Amino acid sequence: MKSKKLKLKRKVIIAAMIAIILIVVALLAEVIAPNDPYATNATMIRKAPSAEYLFGTDNLGRCVFSRVLYGARTTISSTVFLVAISFFIGTLIGMICGYYGGIVDEVLMRVADLTLAFPQMVVAIAVAGLLDGGLGGAMIALGITMWTSFARLARSHTLTVKQMPFITASRLAGKSGAYIIIRHILPNILEPVLISALTQIGTTMIGISGLSFLGLGVVAPKAEWGSMISEARAYIQIAPWAVLYPAAATIITIVVFNYLGDAVLEYRDNA
Amino acid sequence: MRKFNKLFALAMATTMAFSAAGCGNSAKESSESTVESNEATEQEEVVEASDEEEKTSDGDNILRTAASFAYPSLDVHKEYYGWYTSIYGLSEALFKLDETSTAVPCLAKDAVSDGTTWTITLKDNVKFSNGEPLTAEMVIKNIQRVAEINGRFDIFGTFSYEAPDDKTIVVNTGDEVYPTLKSDLASPEFGIIDLENTTDFDNDPICTGPFVITEFVPEGDVKVAKNENYWGGDVNLDGAVFYYMQEDDPKLLAMQSGEIDCYNSVSSAALEVYKQEPDKYNVVSVEGTRLQFYILNENTMDGAVRAAVNLTIDKEAIASYLEGTVTAATAPFPSSAAYSKVSIPAVDTEKAKALLEEDGYTLNADGIYEKDGQPIKLNIAYYAARSLDTLAILMQEQLKAVGIDSYLTVEEDPDSTYIANADFDLALYCMISDKCGDPLYFIDSTLADGAYYNVAGFKNDECQKMIEELRIETDSAKRAELANKIIQIAIDDNAFGYVGLFNHTTVMKPGVSGFAENIPFDFYGIDANTTK
Amino acid sequence: MNNKVIKRIIELILLLVVLSLLTFALMYLAPGDPAEKRLSSQGVAVTKEVLNAERARMGLLRPFFVRYGEWLWGIIHGDFGISFKDDMPVAPKLIKGLKNTVVLALSSLMFSLIISIPLGLVAAVKKNALIDHVVRLLSFIGNSLPNFLVSVLLMYFFCIKLNMFPIIAEGNLQGLFLPVISLSIPMIARFSRMIRTEVLTQLSEDYVTGLRLRGVKEKYILLKNVFYNSIGHIFTIIALQIGVLMGGSVVIETIFRWPGIGKLVMDSINARDYPVIMGFVIIMGTIYVGINLLSDLLNKVIDPRVEV
Repeated sequence: MKSKKLKLKRKVIIAAMIAIILIVVALLAEVIAPNDPYATNATMIRKAPSAEYLFGTDNLGRCVFSRVLYGARTTISSTVFLVAISFFIGTLIGMICGYYGGIVDEVLMRVADLTLAFPQMVVAIAVAGLLDGGLGGAMIALGITMWTSFARLARSHTLTVKQMPFITASRLAGKSGAYIIIRHILPNILEPVLISALTQIGTTMIGISGLSFLGLGVVAPKAEWGSMISEARAYIQIAPWAVLYPAAATIITIVVFNYLGDAVLEYRDNA
Repeated sequence: MRKFNKLFALAMATTMAFSAAGCGNSAKESSESTVESNEATEQEEVVEASDEEEKTSDGDNILRTAASFAYPSLDVHKEYYGWYTSIYGLSEALFKLDETSTAVPCLAKDAVSDGTTWTITLKDNVKFSNGEPLTAEMVIKNIQRVAEINGRFDIFGTFSYEAPDDKTIVVNTGDEVYPTLKSDLASPEFGIIDLENTTDFDNDPICTGPFVITEFVPEGDVKVAKNENYWGGDVNLDGAVFYYMQEDDPKLLAMQSGEIDCYNSVSSAALEVYKQEPDKYNVVSVEGTRLQFYILNENTMDGAVRAAVNLTIDKEAIASYLEGTVTAATAPFPSSAAYSKVSIPAVDTEKAKALLEEDGYTLNADGIYEKDGQPIKLNIAYYAARSLDTLAILMQEQLKAVGIDSYLTVEEDPDSTYIANADFDLALYCMISDKCGDPLYFIDSTLADGAYYNVAGFKNDECQKMIEELRIETDSAKRAELANKIIQIAIDDNAFGYVGLFNHTTVMKPGVSGFAENIPFDFYGIDANTTK
Repeated sequence: MNNKVIKRIIELILLLVVLSLLTFALMYLAPGDPAEKRLSSQGVAVTKEVLNAERARMGLLRPFFVRYGEWLWGIIHGDFGISFKDDMPVAPKLIKGLKNTVVLALSSLMFSLIISIPLGLVAAVKKNALIDHVVRLLSFIGNSLPNFLVSVLLMYFFCIKLNMFPIIAEGNLQGLFLPVISLSIPMIARFSRMIRTEVLTQLSEDYVTGLRLRGVKEKYILLKNVFYNSIGHIFTIIALQIGVLMGGSVVIETIFRWPGIGKLVMDSINARDYPVIMGFVIIMGTIYVGINLLSDLLNKVIDPRVEV
């Protein structure tokens, strides 16, 4: 039994290390990238991969390798940011619902139901229009439904924690609701919700690149995998590398983060 | 519920079986045309046959092509539906536009004007597909119907019409002279319908064209057949099929697999593919009428910066990125037109820098020009269609190279955002500059005082005076001269930049011809001479 | 129980009203003008006069609440209104799109189940054997593939490289194949994983040990008892997936030009065709909430201890 746990721990560490490597690569994009990801070059349009352009060049003669590296930063940072915000809002609302219950709970949970039926595309376009385009629209569109899963999870854990004697004790001691939520409930529900946040990273990445692919994400010329794939798609017959490399980058990154999430979950379940 | 599921399981099983078998036999429920294409695909797959000829030209004389739009109705006079009835070869107007954007006779022999009076003479032998002859009265009713139901042609409702005999129409345009009447009547929206005998305007209008509708799916595929009664003589094709394909990829793929014989508005990606096999694909490209241009905001940029921008933007370089889909523009109109004779200064980045320096700009540490400590940072507004996204990126690069910094703002809908509130330094836009062989429409929309697209402070009294003249001038040579002068003023004022004109690009299998491939307009397609 | 169902239905109606109001407000705030989109659909510039006349004709100049109220009044009477894009009635458009989407969604669902049930069962029975690891690995990768990517790649290999499918195949069986595969891959991944877990849970139950001790054949236990007992849970999973499927098919439908409701709404958003978008919201909201309600009720039928 012990060895199994050790094995699982090793799995977590390996996954975490690969994820960290990816994040470091994204952060160091400027140092690693051999070319300016935004420099167009009329003489180098759609050149096949070579020593100078590892992944070839795209439709405007830009270096696909450099764009994939810079795209990593866009994709990973926006994903992490979005998950963090949804986590924060969702957990807060979930704890409030779980702790206070009653009409507050009822209303907020119905709102959560509501968002699930909301057409994401409409939100993305409307928000992008109001915010002058950019990733903001896509992130808000995804965030509107994302917080609800955190809220549900936090709520159900809060309901359990709420029954514990020490909560009753501090309530009797005259502590305010806000104090109890922050000091007692939050620390006790943090772990499962955090792990859930970790497992959401892959899905969120799929969501963001999907919206970018539909043209609802980043503003040109910013490098982002989904929009790179969508831009290069028309040329897939003559320059498949401009599609396949960002596609591979997307898949690998999602796989790594999903694997990390799974490993952590498994580790905890066997703890 | 259970039965339902079984049904789907069955459907899926069939799909699987079919996929296992390559493609062959699941053709029972597909239409005739897909049956053929199936065989075609199978052939290519199994034999890897490269001979394009074998695939669909199995004896029939039906042209298969793709249409980028599909409308819910065939009512020629409404909306833009007439563009498509014209493309389908169903409807014809009194005049049609030729290679040089000139209105030439079609159903009418001629139209001559004498001040506010136009006299139109019809051809003698024109008849509808039901055999009824075309009368002057019928033409008048048609024009009045267009005026009534199509907001863009309101003005035709203010004219008075008379028919002194069966083949003559006299139009009185009231107090104002209306010089563009003839070319306006060449618009496909003025396609003539037999209003007496047509019962279903949306699905089966009776027109004069070389083809008649046989199958019309609203917002879907359209089939036409030869009009046996065509007044203009024999029709080459037996019929045609127009598949509705909005996007570029499927058209390319369908052309490659031999499922269609030709189509136009070829994308630059597809063009690259066709170029690699010139013996399999015949590509014809003529300068079109869809213009990519930019507006320079006179309220936010001084003359020197605007001049520098215009001296920097290298249209030829941009056109070379867009590989064959765009021709670098001088004037906003196709270069073949008489009203496109203007001159623009050549690209000269040194002169651009000199102009900025003369005006008190200095290069800062980042290599950007600044004045009073304020570096230049232009707001380039665009929308991601018609290759304007590519233009924006390339222009940003070109400007940066001379020391003009900029940022891009993308809007989904330009008309209600940056065009409406003039919130930009440089705004990209794409529109049809010439819809019926006359310069007034574009000049009126972009340069006249208060025009919808004149939002960035361009104002010139001399120019406005000439526009007023252009509105009433009937002599086409003088119109062209006026137009040239007006456009030249806008160019000299650095109010606009005309970047490129989209080519009207048609790809055809060898043997296909007459698909309006030499005409710059988008609203023509098959006619009596089209061959396959 | 009936009271609770009635309460849920009232909730559903309230939900739809709020949902439609929010959507209407968002569309109102988003830049874009249906009249302008319509008049310049061929790239011909419009004049202010024509534009304003068209706006007036389409009723766009009236105040927000008047327009919303009118729309709501229509919906209550079963009238989905007239499309801004082409003056055609909205309801037939939605029904046609919905029909195609349902065909696509159900086909994908059936296909996914046909593949994932055996996979999940085998993986559970042969736990930790090679086959289990392979299934888990595949399901893991499948779950990490964005469906737009799967679509693009499938199209590249099957249509271009292998030339196996005709391009002009909209709305028929051949056109169905690739979108079904694209939609199914993540579902197969998810289903086979869940089925594996569920079967493993069942296998560790006491009754299985009992059956084994009584000498009932393993195959029989598996197919009769374990599978039967798992069905309730599997059904819940499926029910929840249908909503996701219906909403998530937008990308797939757009890429493969499948004439479903997702593509319809994407086109309508681009054309600012408010009546169609609003109709879409009502339909999807109803389906989503309806399915959740139905799955709750069914769970109750299967297992009466469940609270609705």
